[in-house]
Amino acid sequence: MTAPVGLVSTLTDEQEMLVDASVRFMDATLPVAAIRAVADGGPRDDTSYRAAAGELGWFGFLGDEAAGGGSVSGNGVVDAALIAAELGARLQPGPYAGHSVVVDALTRVGGPSHAPALADLVSGAAWATWAFGDDTSCALGVSRDGLRLDGHVALAVEVGSCSHVLLGASGPDGFTQVLVPLDAPGVTVRPLESFDVSRRWGAVDLDGVTLPSAAVVGAPGAAAGAQLLRQVHLAAVLAAADAVGAMHADFETALQYAKDRIAFGRPIGSFQALKHVIADVSLSVEMAKGIVAEAARALGEAAPDAAELAHAAKSFVGEHSVDVMHQCFQVFGGIGFTWEHDQHLYLRRMSADAAMFGGPGWHRQQLVATVEAVR
Amino acid sequence: MSPTTGMTVDAFRTAARSWMEANLPRRAEGDTEVRKPWDIKDVPAEEFAAQRALQKAMYEAGFAGVTWPEEYGGQGLSADHQRAFDEVALGFEQPDLGTLGGTTFHVCAPTMLAHGTPEFLSVHIPRILAGDELVAQFFSDPDAGSDLAGVRTQAVRDGDRWILNGSKIWSSGAYNADIGMCLARTNWDVPKHRGLTWFAVPVRSRGVTMERIRQINGNEEFCQEFFDDVELTDADVIGTVNDGWTVTQTMLLFERGGGGMRPATPTVGMKPDVVALMDSVGGWNDPAARDAAARVHVDDLVRAALGTRIVAAMRTDPMRAASYASYGKLASGVFDPLRANHMMRIAGDSAIAWADPDSPGAAASLALLNSRFMAIAGGTVQMQRNTIGEKVLGLPREPSFDSGKPFRDVVRDAANWSGKVS
Repeated sequence: MTAPVGLVSTLTDEQEMLVDASVRFMDATLPVAAIRAVADGGPRDDTSYRAAAGELGWFGFLGDEAAGGGSVSGNGVVDAALIAAELGARLQPGPYAGHSVVVDALTRVGGPSHAPALADLVSGAAWATWAFGDDTSCALGVSRDGLRLDGHVALAVEVGSCSHVLLGASGPDGFTQVLVPLDAPGVTVRPLESFDVSRRWGAVDLDGVTLPSAAVVGAPGAAAGAQLLRQVHLAAVLAAADAVGAMHADFETALQYAKDRIAFGRPIGSFQALKHVIADVSLSVEMAKGIVAEAARALGEAAPDAAELAHAAKSFVGEHSVDVMHQCFQVFGGIGFTWEHDQHLYLRRMSADAAMFGGPGWHRQQLVATVEAVR
Repeated sequence: MSPTTGMTVDAFRTAARSWMEANLPRRAEGDTEVRKPWDIKDVPAEEFAAQRALQKAMYEAGFAGVTWPEEYGGQGLSADHQRAFDEVALGFEQPDLGTLGGTTFHVCAPTMLAHGTPEFLSVHIPRILAGDELVAQFFSDPDAGSDLAGVRTQAVRDGDRWILNGSKIWSSGAYNADIGMCLARTNWDVPKHRGLTWFAVPVRSRGVTMERIRQINGNEEFCQEFFDDVELTDADVIGTVNDGWTVTQTMLLFERGGGGMRPATPTVGMKPDVVALMDSVGGWNDPAARDAAARVHVDDLVRAALGTRIVAAMRTDPMRAASYASYGKLASGVFDPLRANHMMRIAGDSAIAWADPDSPGAAASLALLNSRFMAIAGGTVQMQRNTIGEKVLGLPREPSFDSGKPFRDVVRDAANWSGKVS
């Protein structure tokens, strides 16, 4: 078994078992060699992977027991963040952060009409993704058969592997969230070439898609805005946790290389020029783990500082993961420029994590707005 | 016997509370900000004497040195008693002996307790607890700071005396101290770590000259001492002669704040200095200032989270606590200057000139002057990076040019440096 990331310093026994079993599963099912084969165009068996992951409980930490979910520690956000970090460290596929956001949203405001979809998402029978950001532009109208949705999602992670996408649209009652089945008539999913080769990315065109009014998630208008903030905070924490896992793995690989590689008669890690860089990188990794763990704890406890910590986590990790990547690349030297070395896989993963669900600058803007709101 | 001998934790808490209510002013609500070492200012002599008197009263009432051994004047009580005391103490202004209070009670005396002979401890610890003997650190030489084992201040054996010569620098608050805990070379013919000895030097001994150092931030907290044939005896030795490095490591552990890191306390909003500065320059309407303020706040939150993580890591892995503490020190050394830079950018012209010396702009400029304190004091960030690289991450050491040969030769060879390893 490869070593866990260590996102949280002290785990409960149940969390430790969860992480151990999850890491063993990832190592056995999709080690990096298998990820590479998929990246080179090989097949990917999502169905059995999802089902096994569902058995491990990955998709239910933010769902209630009625839907087959439940946290292992009492704080479902921390449980999910622990899994997200291990996924990032092992470059695992899937829309974990977005999927968790959808499970959380349906659990909180979904209502009975979404119960069957929620049960599938919690069990791992299906994946859902969340389309968020300027890349989503959708309009919701009323039609004879219910609702009519038109628009465009420019980018959503793993949308081609999902049964549903949650998106926001402007509707007659203001901002409205809808859960769209991706097999509905008028929905076209277009695969995109992507920088991050460990996950698949796609765009969605929505052309006169007819939906039942029960497709709406939660109340439109101001209430949907508040729910949207919750989703932003959760996605920020989980995407940051994924990036922290990737930072950790990239750093550990660079650290080992600095001990093994000999130059000028010495292991290169004995040179202060590299030792000090590596120490700074490890500080960044420790700080990133610290803020993500705190943000997850606070969000799961609905603490008063949860929003600030979530924005801080996404902003800090977004910038520092990229710094860490550069420094590790420099430690590797030329070997890091080869496809067969893993560092570029982490570089790609971290870059995508930094941009998705709002980049560092956007989260700093939100942080200031949050602070101003309580002044 | 002390008035608190044998008390249960609850009885001790009650007694501490009623003593503090009778003797100490209440602390203002929400006043939890920890004073930074560079913020400490000189206090008038009579005020300092009053604080010493408070410390003595606390000692006599049985509340000083809660967990320290009874035979040396401590209370000999448990860690639970200490926690109970600390909880109560949060609500009251404690005796304030400035920098010296910290160095005496949290660094020097704990080190003495770990290494001093029973004779030494029975003389000094009761005086320390009573506030009669405050201890300054005579650590760095002008020629040796981060390379502490390279100090050249020396004590030479002369019959049954030791004769001390040399100079110490960066001794905080030493002008109020009674003794200095002084690291001196006692053997030049062995490698540098093996010829060091610690002494308790009475500050008012013949041959000790003390000068205060004028600092860039306007304070004169640091001192420099000059020793000209200062006479000491074996009773002044702390620990074992020539085994001073063992004592040093204990001391550095206390100094690097084995106990100094504290977990984050949840607060909402930016720190008061950021809000005040943003208000004063109209920064809330300026996108660049907003982003700089956000960066400061992000880093403040992350550093607090790092503190929480380090405290937890120290608890689960106490053997490596000192190495983990280096992360806290490195984070301060790296992020204090960045923070000061962001604040200066927000402040703009208001940090260049001011009518009111208490204005947020003036505070930003002062913070810039103080910002490299943690990057330099108590071992530079480069030292922390070495510690983290080698002790935490297991990276191989740099070649050493001074560990295998007599210190006398080290000094000679360094003066003829060629870069070649013989």
